[in-house]
Amino acid sequence: MKIRFWGVRGSIPCPGPKTQKYGGNSACIELRVGKEERLIIVDAGSGIRELGTFLLSNDLPKGPIDTSIFLSHTHWDHIMGFPYFTPIYIPGTRLKVFGPVTFEDDPLEDVVGGQMKYRYFPVNMGELTSDIEYIRLKEDPSIDMGNGLKVATKLLNHPITALGYRFEHEGKKVCTCYDTEPFRNLFITDPEHPDYDEAMAYEGEEVAKEQNMVIEEFYAGADLLIHDSQYTAAEYKNGRVGWGHSTFEHVIESANRVKVKRLALFHHDPDRTDDQIDAMAKDYCEPGKYGDTEVFFAREGDVINV
Amino acid sequence: MSFDKDKQRRDIERFIQKMPSLSTTVGKVMEICSRTDASPNELNKVISLDPVLTGQVLKLINSAYYSLVTKITSLTRAITMLGMNTVKNMALSTAIIRTVAGAKKSKVLPTSRFWAHTIGAGVSAKMLASIKDVPVVEREELFVAGLLHDLGKIPFGDEYIEVLKIAKNEQLPLIEVEREIMGIDHQEVGLMIAEKWKLNEVITTCISRHHDVNGLEGNLAKQVGFVALGNIYTNILDIGSAGNSFPDEGEILLLLEVLDISLEDFGHIGASVQEEIRKAEIFLQI
Repeated sequence: MKIRFWGVRGSIPCPGPKTQKYGGNSACIELRVGKEERLIIVDAGSGIRELGTFLLSNDLPKGPIDTSIFLSHTHWDHIMGFPYFTPIYIPGTRLKVFGPVTFEDDPLEDVVGGQMKYRYFPVNMGELTSDIEYIRLKEDPSIDMGNGLKVATKLLNHPITALGYRFEHEGKKVCTCYDTEPFRNLFITDPEHPDYDEAMAYEGEEVAKEQNMVIEEFYAGADLLIHDSQYTAAEYKNGRVGWGHSTFEHVIESANRVKVKRLALFHHDPDRTDDQIDAMAKDYCEPGKYGDTEVFFAREGDVINV
Repeated sequence: MSFDKDKQRRDIERFIQKMPSLSTTVGKVMEICSRTDASPNELNKVISLDPVLTGQVLKLINSAYYSLVTKITSLTRAITMLGMNTVKNMALSTAIIRTVAGAKKSKVLPTSRFWAHTIGAGVSAKMLASIKDVPVVEREELFVAGLLHDLGKIPFGDEYIEVLKIAKNEQLPLIEVEREIMGIDHQEVGLMIAEKWKLNEVITTCISRHHDVNGLEGNLAKQVGFVALGNIYTNILDIGSAGNSFPDEGEILLLLEVLDISLEDFGHIGASVQEEIRKAEIFLQI
């Protein structure tokens, strides 16, 4: 499998001189599977615009574009590029959009296609000439995509339903795990608090631990893990608990523990400058410092082969 | 044909007297759900005070809707994994349906059709409110109001068959036939139940005035309007049934005007409503 990053930022695109090196586009990953280079896309953040342009020159001459987009979740930074993905305007394009929706929220088609209303965008969803199918995903240990490609999904911990994906092909594993924050005990743990309940506090702790282990097992042994790492541990503690994002420290420790081969730190904070990332890389990405996992900051345009 | 109207009224009053009161759990769940600052501990405690409700919520979470790989066996686990909001919404809808379903008396309106209708009305009211950017918490209340708007039909006895038949054959609005034949209508009966259950003003007014929005003012007129229009919408789409197949057409235009919704937007919520109903129907399987 071959992976290329088209967008690595979290929250909002942030172009400018300070983000030129790692890139300012929000999440979009191109995955090429097998010898036939079958195209799979993960997320439709602003990075998907340039991927679309690339596909027109690289793929379209070989025949109509036929691909699947897997959405990690429907927060705006992960779907905002969809209306600018040129292949959707080309008759003959066949697109399957897979993704989760939150309990009692609108159908996937409305959440993603709802951006294409005249009030937001000059083209209405109904005017598209391509063939787009929306498929709601749930937690699923194995979805057979044909030609030897298997996809597994895992419920993550984010304010809305978000899924991690594991793509498996010919013994290789590529996992995405964002947007997510480690599960934690939500219940009151202070015995002095009037609402304190010992059993709840205990079980809350146990479930959080167990679910974090389940997520680790999900990406254990991956050849490549692309993981949310928006914050440092210090930033996280300082008012960002519950926002649904992980820390470098947690991710690096966890990936090493379950023998992930390569870890791409992903979903960079929009305020993080190239200089800051370079400085952090000296510590977090130093070979062997935290274990055997090779750690790197995902960078727009980088290609990884597994 | 006419029935002994005094006897009708007496029978209904007696039925309502014997109806169970709204359980304290449901009242508390409603209260917690309307507060944004409720803690996970509070939510957990309120639901778990009622073991049956706890079981139903867990069953719902483990239903095909989520199809989670790990089975969810406790509320603490559910709240940790799915978050407060999801568990809140599940508990609320489950609690209300259970309470009302438990009180259901006659076989005149088949339970599943009746609930499909009220879920449809609740969902439609919520969707219409979302077009008008009503805040989410208020929309949830409208969903509940829609679920309960026909509460007043529950105490009607077998005589109601005749009322339904006349409304159908003569293509009349059901409420007119109720008044004519029975001397009491489902809004009035609904009000009696709402008072017994001490439901809040919005829900009570939706129950007692959904065919009679004229004369209401301000936000309350709008809230009742959404439920009234949601009710009509499900009748038009023929989702489920609560016996009223021929609503008053003038009423639709009046409501659209009160709510400032265009006929076009009104027509457009269809697909979303169907999808929402499909989702909400899992509550009926519990």
